Amino acid sequence: MSNTPQPAPVAEERIELKARNVSFAWENTPLHWIPGDPFTGHTINVLHLLLPAGERWFVHVYKQVLPLITDDRLREDVIGFIGQEAMHSAAHDDVLPHLKKLGLDPTPYTAQVDWLFEKLLGDRTLPPGRARRWWLMERVATIAAIEHYTAFLGNWILNAETLDRRGADPTMLDLLRWHGAEEVEHRSVAFELFMHVDGGYRRRVRTWATAFTALAFLWQRGARFFMDNDPTPAVGRASLGAFYRAGQRGMLPSTPSMLKSIPRYLSRTYHPSQEGSTAQAVAYLASSPGANGGH
Amino acid sequence: MRRATTVALAAGAALLARRALRRRIGASPLWPMPALEEPVSGHGTRRSTVALRLTVTERAGPAEGVVRLRLAAPDRSELPAWEPGAHLDLVLPSGLVRQYSLCGDPADRTAYTVATRLVEGGRGGSREVHEQLREGVELSVRGPRNRFPLVPSASYVFIAGGIGITPILPMIKAVEASGTPWRLLYGGRSRATMPFLDEIVGLGGTGESGGTERLGGKVTVVPEDESGTPDLVAFLGASPADAAVYCCGPEPLMDAVGVALGPGRTPYLERFAPGAATAGAGFEVELRRSGRTLPVPADRSLLSVLRTEVPGVTYSCEQGFCGTCQQRVLEGEIDHRDELLTPAERDGSMLICVSRCLGKKLVLDL
Repeated sequence: MSNTPQPAPVAEERIELKARNVSFAWENTPLHWIPGDPFTGHTINVLHLLLPAGERWFVHVYKQVLPLITDDRLREDVIGFIGQEAMHSAAHDDVLPHLKKLGLDPTPYTAQVDWLFEKLLGDRTLPPGRARRWWLMERVATIAAIEHYTAFLGNWILNAETLDRRGADPTMLDLLRWHGAEEVEHRSVAFELFMHVDGGYRRRVRTWATAFTALAFLWQRGARFFMDNDPTPAVGRASLGAFYRAGQRGMLPSTPSMLKSIPRYLSRTYHPSQEGSTAQAVAYLASSPGANGGH
Repeated sequence: MRRATTVALAAGAALLARRALRRRIGASPLWPMPALEEPVSGHGTRRSTVALRLTVTERAGPAEGVVRLRLAAPDRSELPAWEPGAHLDLVLPSGLVRQYSLCGDPADRTAYTVATRLVEGGRGGSREVHEQLREGVELSVRGPRNRFPLVPSASYVFIAGGIGITPILPMIKAVEASGTPWRLLYGGRSRATMPFLDEIVGLGGTGESGGTERLGGKVTVVPEDESGTPDLVAFLGASPADAAVYCCGPEPLMDAVGVALGPGRTPYLERFAPGAATAGAGFEVELRRSGRTLPVPADRSLLSVLRTEVPGVTYSCEQGFCGTCQQRVLEGEIDHRDELLTPAERDGSMLICVSRCLGKKLVLDL
């Protein structure tokens, strides 16, 4: 099938992926870390609910794929990816006790996310061979789809100047931008790994649909959970309208930009290097307080 | 007409379903997903990425070339508890991260005390502490963590070299308070350069025993310019054979303590530069599942040896903070040199990028 369109990577200098030893001092971060806008803050806070378990799961799955990789360069990238994801998971996990201290215990929600990634998407008792490989490939493809969105969000947060203007907490912004920048930095790895070990287009579409639906379901649920359990009186409720309007103001990714990213991932010539800028990510990482010792 | 009926029916069913769902969710907002019985997220004890922002509230010079800093939260709130032997990671203004032992009083929960010696021609950390950390300067701090804890023992022997006294000082106070017998050998270049000397001699009660020739007192002070290098063999020989031996000081001193103790006894050591994956003795590693045994030379890390032999071995930071290279250990005494694992995790696993072996052989589940 020589006339099938192929993924078209954008040439960029290859960089070595390394985990960074980050640290963040949370004691001064308030619950409403975007002043006067609890909804936006809580919508972004959903990341702290999903990522600790989710990125632990990435690491768990990728450790199983490593022996299947035959390309040395890709193996190096995947190993770097694993280290970075482990740090992301730990850094978001360390925000949760702070939220609890501020009066919003996230455990009822995170225990469900733990179940989702540890049980539902965990290692199933399958016979070795085709069934086991099928389940591994489904998960590898799902991670590639999720990484499309983490790169999208990473690129967004790096450029979300509105949050700075609205006085968002600098430590929280630094956590999000360090994470976002590393997502942009390693955005090609998950997709290249999927193309290397499987690459089936039908699987790509199927797992994208599952991942997108699950993310939308979990996200609205998380935002509602935070708004409903916020100890501050009269914070209001989460709604699709509020989400749309926050997107228009540049406080959250805009709904049209999110819709436009869907056909991009499903395009046969998609390659993650077409999105975002490694140079911008690396520049942020060089100046991030959290990634440079946390001062 | 039939079409209109179908649409009406479908709309009615949809409305009913929506109402039922809303009622169900109203009764239990997080329906319908099950939860993991023992939640993992947010319940870990590693806390590896959390920093504290502290201010230098006091700066003093307890000895020549040594500064002592008191660090407290800007609002003087209570700080996490620690036990003797613990250290802090100080994130210096330039971004350098250095470990310093806590040498204050664990019961004082409003401040941490550390002391550092200026190392001429060092890696720059101590110079920065001495030149930049004035009173009022704010810095990030990670920890406290304890890789050098006091184990229960009938008696203790402490050997400190110069600034290596810092973790030993709170240990001695704790041991003295509990009434357990102890002895200290404190060496240094000269009395003027040895911090906390008066405090320690005071702790010794009856006064110092004054040099290596007399071994009766609790505290033996050996300034090199007066008494030469300490006679470790004589000092250890005069101590009970079952005493726990703790040593912190320059690398040659710690090596000498290991030699003087002889085979069969291992001292508890605190290195100034933790994370140095290649400082230490060589050992053997057995890979139980693949049935191979490989030598790990003194100048190579366990990870670097395994990487050439086991293609699937994962790692990333190679400095002991990301946890990617954690491996299960089946047998052998682990020399943990990472900053990440919790005491429970240290029991049966290690980070192969920095940690080594205290004995001759480790058995890994690989």
